[in-house]
This record gives sequence, structure tokens and C-alpha cells, in this order.
Amino acid sequence: MIRFETVTKTFKGEVVALREASAEIQRGEFVFLVGPSGSGKSTFIRLINREEVPDAGKILVAGKDVSSLSSWKVPYLRRNIGYVFQDYKLLPKKTVTENVAFALEVIGRPRPIIKRQVPAILELVGLSRKADRLPEELSGGEQQRVSIARAFVNRPLILLADEPTGNLDPATSVGIMRLLDRINRSGTTVVMATHDRSIVDTMRRRVIELDRGMLVRDESRGVYE
Amino acid sequence: MIFRFWYFIRETFVSLWRNLSLTLAAILTVAISLALVGSSLLIREGADQATAQFQEGVEFIVFMNADALENQNEAIRKVLDTSPAIKEYVYVDKFAAYEEFRELFVDKPELVESVTPEIMPPSYRIVPSDPDADNVTELARQFSEQPGVKEVATATEAIRQIEDFSTRVSQALLLAAIVLVAVSAVLILNTVFTAISARKTEIEVMKLVGATNWFIRIPFMLEGTIHGLMGAGLAVPALFVVDSRVLAYFQESEAVPLFRGFAVPDGFVWNTSIWILVIGAAIGMIGSAFAVTRYLDV
Ligand SMILES: Nc1ncnc2c1ncn2[C@@H]1O[C@H](COP(=O)(O)OP(=O)(O)OP(=O)(O)O)[C@@H](O)[C@H]1O
Ligand SMILES: [Mg+2]
Repeated sequence: MIRFETVTKTFKGEVVALREASAEIQRGEFVFLVGPSGSGKSTFIRLINREEVPDAGKILVAGKDVSSLSSWKVPYLRRNIGYVFQDYKLLPKKTVTENVAFALEVIGRPRPIIKRQVPAILELVGLSRKADRLPEELSGGEQQRVSIARAFVNRPLILLADEPTGNLDPATSVGIMRLLDRINRSGTTVVMATHDRSIVDTMRRRVIELDRGMLVRDESRGVYE
Repeated sequence: MIFRFWYFIRETFVSLWRNLSLTLAAILTVAISLALVGSSLLIREGADQATAQFQEGVEFIVFMNADALENQNEAIRKVLDTSPAIKEYVYVDKFAAYEEFRELFVDKPELVESVTPEIMPPSYRIVPSDPDADNVTELARQFSEQPGVKEVATATEAIRQIEDFSTRVSQALLLAAIVLVAVSAVLILNTVFTAISARKTEIEVMKLVGATNWFIRIPFMLEGTIHGLMGAGLAVPALFVVDSRVLAYFQESEAVPLFRGFAVPDGFVWNTSIWILVIGAAIGMIGSAFAVTRYLDV
């Protein structure tokens, strides 16, 4: 599903964010990206959905070389990739429903489909009763659920999550991880960058560790370190 | 598709409303600059119309008194027919003069009604053998001393007066207009940029969920275009005011006889208005396109 072939990414010609990294992630896998701050986790994720372009090497997503994808095709790539942020990035003036519907509206989905899919996904993330609330009326964990609903409402093949539990307390984080696990079990490939040791150690999924841009460990049922 | 249309309209107006003061500044600047562009075009057209009588080598026109006697006319005609200084001439009688007047002011019936063929001055349009300015001035002087002659308008003097006036005024207006057009494009760029900044998160999310670049751009470009069009919309009535007040003022002034011909057909005003709207939309589109490509690319 995702393949990195000796990918190197530098910033301004000096900071090496990723150095000759190679990895292959299969369809339906759940992968943790770990490593100290500045080791290149976010860069790894941003390369997958073409927010960044590698300096060298190749990145294949669903069989397509995204590093050489012409820019007008990028939106269509991204429609197959859900993205969850540490800071949720919800639109403050829109309700929960509107925030989720927004993701479908702006890619031109017909209204009847939106009307059907949004309540279904809110049901999945357990927010049906808060559908008409504004983000500021929700807890952090609930806001992250909205953000996940928005990322998943279009049923992407891949879900990228950059420290999705970074702003949450441990109990709430467990709830978010359950949700991501459930999404993964429905067949979606999940790639998640995290600093959360206990999550990685309890989930026991594949772990890829980066250190100063180098891929130093890749274990199929790994722990944080 | 219909749904998308409403999406664009909604987004555009929400954004217009959101930075109202900047929007108003942009719209007013567009309006003022386009009103100037339009006035400059009207004055040029007016000057062209006023000097239209001087065509095909006509260097001076002898206007007779409306009540000139037949023998006075005959005396003039005799000079014209015999003098070697005169190459050819055309006599325009009261009725022909009235016809011309009617054509010129076809869309100002109240003006046409105020005259009758009886009060129109008949005239001789004269092509001299030698169009040299000094020669024409001398001929004009001689004719103006003849009995029954109301006045003599020479091309050199009358056209120069009108053209001087119209080039000076229309160039000044045009220069001011060009500066203001540039200013308004920058102002529109700024409003669009402000609109973009106000919606950073929204744009970021749109990009990440796979909205196409055009989908993201269209509301902003629409916004700029609407600014331009609204400004142009305000400039159009201003043009009609210029037409009915300023140009009419020239027509009624006694200072220069030829200014009486300083009229612009309504059709021309309408055409100019359409151009103004097109230019307004173009300014808005260019300003916003610039903002959008500058600040919105992936
Ligand atoms: N847009 C950028 N411009 C310049 N340097 C950048 C940019 N993005 C990342 N970097 C640099 O690349 C390196 C890797 O950054 P990255 O964000 O991938 O690390 P990370 O592992 O996600 O760190 P953290 O755990 O703190 O989120 C860092 O040294 C960072 O400073
Ligand atoms: Mg990071």
C-alpha cells in the first residue's frame, strides 16, 4: 500500500529530515512511527500525502509514484488518504455535523450522499448526540473524534495520524486508540506518529523507529523502545 | 453542480461581508477610477463629434446669420466661385443644418425641440487651395468682414482649441485613472489576501481532504471579480451624469461656437458603460488571481 524506496528529504539543503529510508507497509497494517523529537516522523507522514516532495528516492502509494505525481492529481491522491492532526484543526464556527460534511462538500460529493454518510460516521465515533455542538463546546477527546470522523467519512484507504493523542490525557487517549483500531480492522491502513509509550506497548503493532532521519528499527509486533 | 454554485455564492458573500471596510475601499476606488476612464472616453468622443464638420480638407466655415439676405449670400457665393484661393466649397442651408443638428442630438429630443430650421445658421464649408494656416487665417478675416456673416470658424483655431482642451482634459483624467486602476487592483489583491488569511485553517483542511485548487480558488476570485463589478456598477451612473451635466454645459456655453457640437450619442455612453463593466471585472479578476496564485498555492 505504501512503499518508501531509499527516500531522502532535506530542508534548505542542510537539515536532513529523512535519510535513505526504505519501508513497505501492507494494506490493512497498523504502523507506529516513533523516535525523538525532530527525528523525521512528521516528515515521513507528510511525504505520503504529498505535502512534501522527496529530494531522492521513490514513494509509492497504492501503486502510484507520488513523488513524481503532477500537482493537479494531488487532490485525487488525498481523497484516498485521511489525515488526523494533533491539534484537530476543526473549523470553530461550524458544528460537528458541518465540520464533517465540509470534507465531503469540498470534494463535490452530492448532498444526498453527505446526508447519509455524516450521521453514520458520527454514530461510529460515538458523537451522534453532540452533532449540533460547536467544537468549543466539546472536550479534547471529543474534538479529536470529530477530526477522525472527518478524516474517515470518505472511507479512505489510508489514515495518517500525527500524534493524535498528543494533547489528550491517558484515559481519553485509550478511547481514541480504540477508535483507530476499529477503523484499522475495517481494512484501512493506519500510520500513526506518536511519543506515547504506553499506547505503543499495549497495542503491540508494527513499530518503525526513526533517529535523526534514519530508519533504525522496524519490528512487526514492537514496543516503544 | 447546482449545489456547487450555491456553495460558491455563499462563500463569496460571507467573505465580502467579513471585511466590509476594506471591501468598500476597494469598490469605491474601482468606481472612481472607472468613472475617470469613462469620462475621458466621453470627452474624446465629444471632441471627435465636434470637429466632424472639418473633414475632407474643409479648413474654415463661414456661418451666415440665420436671417441673412439673399443678396448677401450671393455676394459670398460670387467670391467663392471666382476666387483662385478657394478650391471648393459646400453650402449647408438651414434645413441641412437642422438635419445635422437633429442627428447629432438624436437622443436629446428636448434640445432638438428647442430649435427650428428658421434659427439655424446656414454655412459654407470651404476647402482652400492652400491649406497653410496663415493663409486660412487671412481668408477667414476677409470673409468675416462681409455683410451677413455671423462668424467664421477656422479648422486651425477651432480644432486646435477643442483638441487642446480635450487632449489635455482626457489625458489628465486618463493618467489619474491609470494610477487609480493600479491602486484598486492592489486594494482588491489586499482584500482577497485578507479573506485568504481569515480562512487559513479552512483552506488547509480543504487541501488535505483533497479539494482541487480551482475549487479553493474560485470563491476568492469570484470575490475579487464582484468587487470590480460593483465598482464598475457605481461608475456607470456617474458616466450618465457626466454626459448630461458636463457635456451639456459645453453645449450651452457661448465661449467656443464649436462646443455646441460637443455631444455624445447615448449609444456611445452605453457602449462605454459595457466596457467599464468589462474593465471592472478584469481588474477584480486580475487582482484576485494574483493574490490567489501568490498566497494560495500548494
Ligand atoms: N518545513 C520545514 N522547514 C525546515 N525544516 C523542517 C521543516 N519541517 C521539518 N523540518 C526539520 O526536519 C527535521 C524533522 O522534522 P519532523 O517534523 O519530521 O520531526 P518529528 O519527528 O515529527 O518531530 P516531533 O516529534 O517534534 O514532531 C527537524 O529537524 C525539523 O526541524
Ligand atoms: Mg512531528
